[in-house]
Amino acid sequence: MTLGGETSIQARTGDPDVALAAAGDTSAFERLYRTHVVRIHNLTRRMLGGQEADEVTQDIFVRTWQKLGQFRGESAFSTWLHRLAINVVIERRRSFAIQRERMSDDAAALDGLSVKPARADLTVDMEHAIDQLPPGAREIFVLHDVEGYKHREIAAMLGIATGTSKRQLHRARMLLREYLSGG
Amino acid sequence: MGVDVHEEWTDQLSEYLDDELDAAGREAVEQHLRGCADCRAVLNDLKRVVAQAQTIPPSPLQADLWDGVAAGIQGTGRKGAGVDAAHPSTPVPFRRRFTFTVPQLAAAAVVLMAVSAGIAWQIADRSAQRAQSTVAAGGTRTDNGADVTTAPVVALERDTPAGASIVQVAYADAQYDAAVADLEKALKQGRGRLDASTIAIVEHNLQIIDQAIAQAREALSADPANSYLSGHLVEARRRKLDLLRRATALTSDTN
Repeated sequence: MTLGGETSIQARTGDPDVALAAAGDTSAFERLYRTHVVRIHNLTRRMLGGQEADEVTQDIFVRTWQKLGQFRGESAFSTWLHRLAINVVIERRRSFAIQRERMSDDAAALDGLSVKPARADLTVDMEHAIDQLPPGAREIFVLHDVEGYKHREIAAMLGIATGTSKRQLHRARMLLREYLSGG
Repeated sequence: MGVDVHEEWTDQLSEYLDDELDAAGREAVEQHLRGCADCRAVLNDLKRVVAQAQTIPPSPLQADLWDGVAAGIQGTGRKGAGVDAAHPSTPVPFRRRFTFTVPQLAAAAVVLMAVSAGIAWQIADRSAQRAQSTVAAGGTRTDNGADVTTAPVVALERDTPAGASIVQVAYADAQYDAAVADLEKALKQGRGRLDASTIAIVEHNLQIIDQAIAQAREALSADPANSYLSGHLVEARRRKLDLLRRATALTSDTN
């Protein structure tokens, strides 16, 4: 990465740390990590569950470091990082060949969430409820309702039909409705 | 709530809420909603679910993951495309990090070390017992006196006993199974010397590792040539062996 390249990225992103990190400055990259890690970890934990979140988050940031040379500043760094993170999460899921099963519309998978929430803290309730969703529904609920992606974007990312994304989202919402109402 | 009766309508409520229906579909739903209190209630519930999802505050990290990231980026050479193009899906091995409460001091010594990746050695059954001598009595301090609550993982992992006979294990062979069996037996015999919280954490982590092993095996059966899955399986088995070894060592420390 040339100095000119660094300057160009900085000019486009307005973040000198992005340019410095792209040039190999690990201190700048650590600052980027500390700025974005909570959001990335939250995304990862909600999509995959807590057990894998730490390891996958680390993987995401290493991939980010490796790919920074490809970042052209055509979008915000946070947007680019977020999309990279989703790709890593999806890749991780696919690597275990469970994506298809998790996207099943099997009626048996529509069983209600088993544990009723404590009513005292709705935030905790929602986090816990999301974690209890069937994985396929959880993934789409997080991408759509928490992260704000559209069905067509989700369908493209996951390699599924838009209709499947809509069905899984509704399924997730209905399960959460039942769970959060304590019914 | 009569949802089943109105299922044909409730199934459309998410799309209605997201403005994904065409004009005719939207009008049909609205017409039904005007006369159906149950479906209006469902719609209001769904609105609340979506509103809550959109306002979940971020949860803080339980542990700083930077050390693992730093370890991962060292030596990658990045400069970009070359690394990823050559190995686009090759994961970098990381150390898992866990946070423990004070009452879990002894358990932390086990779990922190057990879930850390990158240990390519295991101590065979006899060696495991000799390894016990390298961890300080009391279970909460290492042999160099460092408090395990503050000692970095790396420091704990350096406590490989000098002089112990170590063997490198081929993780797909009978030697591995025998080593696991011996360590499980030793741990079972010594579990009475561990407190309940330690046992619970060890068993919980063993369960997690066993699940990972089972998942990797299942995935490999469908995709036997997948080198990433093979590596993941080896890593999971390595973690199990290490957890068993260190948990066994801890039973001796509490004597």
